[in-house]
Amino acid sequence: MRAPAVRGLGVLSGQGPGSGPAPIWTLPRPERPGDRFRRATRECLLALAAVDAMLEDGKAPREAIAGERTALLYVTAAAYAASNREFIERRGGVMHFAYTAPAVVPAEVAIEFGVTGAYGILLGGAPSTLRAIEQAARLLDEDRCDRALLLAVEIFEECGDLYARHRRYTRWPLVETAACLWLERGAGELRFQSSRGGKAAKPARGGERFAAGPLADLREWLDRGATGPLELSGRWRDEHARLGWSTVRSHARGSAA
Amino acid sequence: MATPERVAIAAAGVVTPVGPDLEAFWSALVTGVSGISQIERFPVADLKVQRGGEVKKLGRIKDWCGVSDCRATRLLIAAADDLCAQAGFRPLPLDPARVAVVVGTALGGVEEGEKALAGDRPRRRFREALYDGPGDRLARWLGARGPVITVSTACASGASALATGADLLRRDEADAVVAGGYDALCRFVLRGFNALRSLTRDEVRPFDRRRSGLLLGEAGALALLVRERDLSGPRLGTVLGYGSASDGFHIAAPEPEGRGLERAIRAALADARVSPRDVDLVSAHGTATLLNDRIETAALKRALGPRAYEVPVNSIKGGLGHTMGAAAALEAFMCLLSAQRGLIPPTLHLEEPDPECDLDYVPGRARAARPHVMLSTSMGFGGCNGALVLEAA
Repeated sequence: MRAPAVRGLGVLSGQGPGSGPAPIWTLPRPERPGDRFRRATRECLLALAAVDAMLEDGKAPREAIAGERTALLYVTAAAYAASNREFIERRGGVMHFAYTAPAVVPAEVAIEFGVTGAYGILLGGAPSTLRAIEQAARLLDEDRCDRALLLAVEIFEECGDLYARHRRYTRWPLVETAACLWLERGAGELRFQSSRGGKAAKPARGGERFAAGPLADLREWLDRGATGPLELSGRWRDEHARLGWSTVRSHARGSAA
Repeated sequence: MATPERVAIAAAGVVTPVGPDLEAFWSALVTGVSGISQIERFPVADLKVQRGGEVKKLGRIKDWCGVSDCRATRLLIAAADDLCAQAGFRPLPLDPARVAVVVGTALGGVEEGEKALAGDRPRRRFREALYDGPGDRLARWLGARGPVITVSTACASGASALATGADLLRRDEADAVVAGGYDALCRFVLRGFNALRSLTRDEVRPFDRRRSGLLLGEAGALALLVRERDLSGPRLGTVLGYGSASDGFHIAAPEPEGRGLERAIRAALADARVSPRDVDLVSAHGTATLLNDRIETAALKRALGPRAYEVPVNSIKGGLGHTMGAAAALEAFMCLLSAQRGLIPPTLHLEEPDPECDLDYVPGRARAARPHVMLSTSMGFGGCNGALVLEAA
């Protein structure tokens, strides 16, 4: 598989401990003008902010990603749990039901930025994100799009008390993260591998970000100005996945050429 | 351009409101049986609409292999049990590491979260509400050790799952894929659609001028996908192509002209390398909401051109309700069974045509025909549009 090039990458990362019983680094609800966002959930607004950050990183106007030649892939393990819980506990009185659907997070991005191309939504942790990068590369390779956006959002604060009951199963701290990666056709080779079973993964450096982890790792790699091949990896349930990227050609800030 | 690897649907298994297996499902479709009934499994007295396509009995499974009593998981396993019966095996006669599972869902195991928060279950069981849990548990039940993927493109999820499964085979990530969709009825979703005022107190009447909304249903629908060159036995048909497109318009309402669905159909036909002239049957999303049926009709006319007036277009939601994540997979199986059995099921409860919906929607009774290339369309929350192109065996 031909490797894609990174055109931009926006990563918003939890800034400080939340107020709940679990060690969670939280992201504040972004402000966004306009009546359209009156009922939007925090995960939706964070997704929009991640796209803004990606555009800034790629030094591109929002028009650059509009249209039917832009594919949009979304990955999350648990961001929808917050809106599901709000809908359940307020008995549907306040929360607009549609916002409980995972599909609504990329929908808000599509609406706001005029993205109308192919789409996909994978639910799971880091292996799903690595798989989605591979899917994006394939969409580009097969000329089904000119650019592919990979969106990953994870929020935890609203369900912090429930996560606290699973300390044995969860690696801490949980770091809320919203990220968007802009990929275009590149060079070199991309290799995705996935297997199930084996030993549990080591604790993630800098906290657990579920599906958003690989994009935070990529951001860190780009910021270091690293060169050469890149390997991203991740684990979720009993799946372990790796993505080998022989040449990360990038136009993004802090990038390696 | 290289010819793409052809992926066969070797067998299919279902559990639906109209029958607990594929044969009962097909029989109900062609004879016009409705699976809509008063919901009995959970309290609905406070809801305006209390009916839906509820599965009253979950088949004959004796061994749940220790999986939880999560309703969504059990629907999946009931469909998998039927799939194994249809295909004539269990466990899968393959290297488990080369068997993948891809499921589509709009709701996952959300009912587990609802029960945990209400105190009906221990709160720790909230983690079973993660939407990818039922797919993981299905893989355990099957003994599959290959990739396990959950997709959630709202009510287009079943189509996305079949397409994702076919891609796994084309990329040689697996030798067999169990793919399809599921969703369970629960208070969460019934309250939600009641709040949206999308539900009808009448019959579900796709494309009828009196249509007044949808009813929800629950189901599991799974296919066994394999590369055609690896298959020596019979098959139901072939996944020829898939297309998707976002509306980019509204979180809950479809784009009024159906442009997103039109793009998805065009992409699917291109992926399948067929022209509109080749299409012999359309399985419409056909939810029976005022907007959906008009918009879908307009999109079909633009995407298929004059051919739209020549092909039968049916909807099976009148008898099943809208089974959400399972809908597109069930509709794909209906297409392939139509080709195999030489009958196209009618659009139940379509009696008074809407002048704005002026295609051939197969009213009344099943029609004798043997379609060869079939198109199945799906639309979901968030402007998710999907289209599958299938070929008869």
